[in-house]
Amino acid sequence: MNEPSNPIPETAPTPPLQSPAPPLPNVQIKAAMLLVLMLVLVGGSVIYLMYARGAFESTQKLVLVADDSEGVVVGMDLTFSGFPIGRVSRIALSPTGNVHMTVDVAQADAHWLRSSSIFTLERGLVGNTRLRAYSGILTDPLLQGGATRNLLVGDASAEIPHLVAAAKELIQNLKTLTAADSSLDASLSNVKILTEKLSGRNGALGALLGDEKNAQKLILALDQANSLLAKVDNLAAKADTQVFGPGGLMKDTQATIVQLNGLLLEARASLKKVDAVLVEAQAVGANARAGTADLGALRADIETSLRKVDHLVNEINRKWPFRHDAELKLP
Amino acid sequence: MNPKSSFSDKSLDASTGFLKRTHERARRWLARAWRTLHFAALILSLAFSPATYSRDNRAAIATQIVGGMWPNLLWFTVLCALISLVLIRIVVVTALSYGLSKYALEMVVRVLVLELIPLTAAAFVALRCTLPDGVELAEMRARGDLTAFRREGIDPVRREALPRVMAGVFSVLTLVAVSCITSLVLAYLSIYGFTPWGIAGYNRVVGQVFSPAVSMILLLKTVFFSLAVSLIPMASSLYDEANMSMQSRSKAARELASMVRLFSVILLIEVASLMGNYY
Repeated sequence: MNEPSNPIPETAPTPPLQSPAPPLPNVQIKAAMLLVLMLVLVGGSVIYLMYARGAFESTQKLVLVADDSEGVVVGMDLTFSGFPIGRVSRIALSPTGNVHMTVDVAQADAHWLRSSSIFTLERGLVGNTRLRAYSGILTDPLLQGGATRNLLVGDASAEIPHLVAAAKELIQNLKTLTAADSSLDASLSNVKILTEKLSGRNGALGALLGDEKNAQKLILALDQANSLLAKVDNLAAKADTQVFGPGGLMKDTQATIVQLNGLLLEARASLKKVDAVLVEAQAVGANARAGTADLGALRADIETSLRKVDHLVNEINRKWPFRHDAELKLP
Repeated sequence: MNPKSSFSDKSLDASTGFLKRTHERARRWLARAWRTLHFAALILSLAFSPATYSRDNRAAIATQIVGGMWPNLLWFTVLCALISLVLIRIVVVTALSYGLSKYALEMVVRVLVLELIPLTAAAFVALRCTLPDGVELAEMRARGDLTAFRREGIDPVRREALPRVMAGVFSVLTLVAVSCITSLVLAYLSIYGFTPWGIAGYNRVVGQVFSPAVSMILLLKTVFFSLAVSLIPMASSLYDEANMSMQSRSKAARELASMVRLFSVILLIEVASLMGNYY
């Protein structure tokens, strides 16, 4: 093995050196241009990637707290109405066991976040987990930098176990319902028997009454009812003749009504007379009222006279010699 | 003579021969790997040494860089743009048919820029530039030109090998950079068309794909590709031993062996980068 630092075997013949290929024109300038192009491309790419990752935009911090950070990765977008307004820059476990996700929200888009904004973490069955912000009232005060908000988690896949359990229960119920000895099966058998009876000789009657003998009885009863109806019809025709026919009850009734009209007219005349008597009675009442007014004055006079008599009696009693002393003497 | 003992002697001889051959192969493989690593260290130390950039060496380096890059740059860019366009179209249409169009751009960037273009650029430079350069160097060595350089006081590694290695490295880096940027522009135009309104969303997706780890892996992968593509053919041409059976091989067989070695290393680097990116 040759020595690595001296790779050229000395055993080779030593012919004169071949003339090198003719140099390219302006080779050093072209080489410099290519190197500069490479440096510009690499440097430009680095600067573009830094710009694309948001290294040059001013941001404010927002801390989102969740129970579980599954599906969330650093660099993930926080979207508002479908537009990315921030990036997850750090995910850390807090001492209380919650997950703190630090989101860098671009200052230019920070005005979409208000103090009343809510933040959700949505995990779909297919595709990425999504962080979304909703601001219902855009007139609320702006969200301060470094604010901490709880994350509402909506997990479609978490519903699957519940869904499966419910479906299982439903299938079990269906199984019970459709089993050979189930109530539904018994009901269907009864329906079958019923339909057989319905399509039988006695039809629905046979199905309702259960027995052919009963159905026959009912049919017989119906026939009798029919004949009864025919008799009733005959009877009604006769009654019509009796009531409305010539010399029937209706004519007598009409004559009675005419007589009643005459009676009523007489009664009206009598009532008019009673009215006149009442007018007179009213006049008597008025006179009696006037008389009572005079009676008041008369009463006053009598009272005055009585007082005078009373006074006179008192005077006589006082002046009378046999007046006894009314004073009581105690022993 | 006991036939049983004769059989056991023969099998012993066979197994001893197999072990010897395996040992010889392993020794050669290790020696070659060591020589390649040593050559890499030598070239890197020379590349960072100011004495390398003397007037004559500068001219040689410039000639190799221009000769290696200038003809390939345009062709490779055009070829890469066409292939990228076809792949982008396939990915976008497929994603659209599955209703996953929002992931199309990310997939295009990952498949093309992160994986395919660096690999293609390295293979292109190896086939068009460094493998022929290696053969040329081997021929110079066989002719005794390198010995003649040494006799004249010129370091043949510094004068002939280093410029070719540097040309290979810069070719790979430049082609990767140009092709990646072309593909990114084509991806934008294919998905959004000639409108500026998709730029914000596009930047965001590209920014998400190129996380610091992924960017670092892409950079390291490209640098290792360029080093492998440039160093292995030169090391093979300079260090093949005179007394080895390789000497008896034809020129084509030697080139093929060097190429297989080179692509094995490229494959290893690619596997390592895939593991870094997706594990």
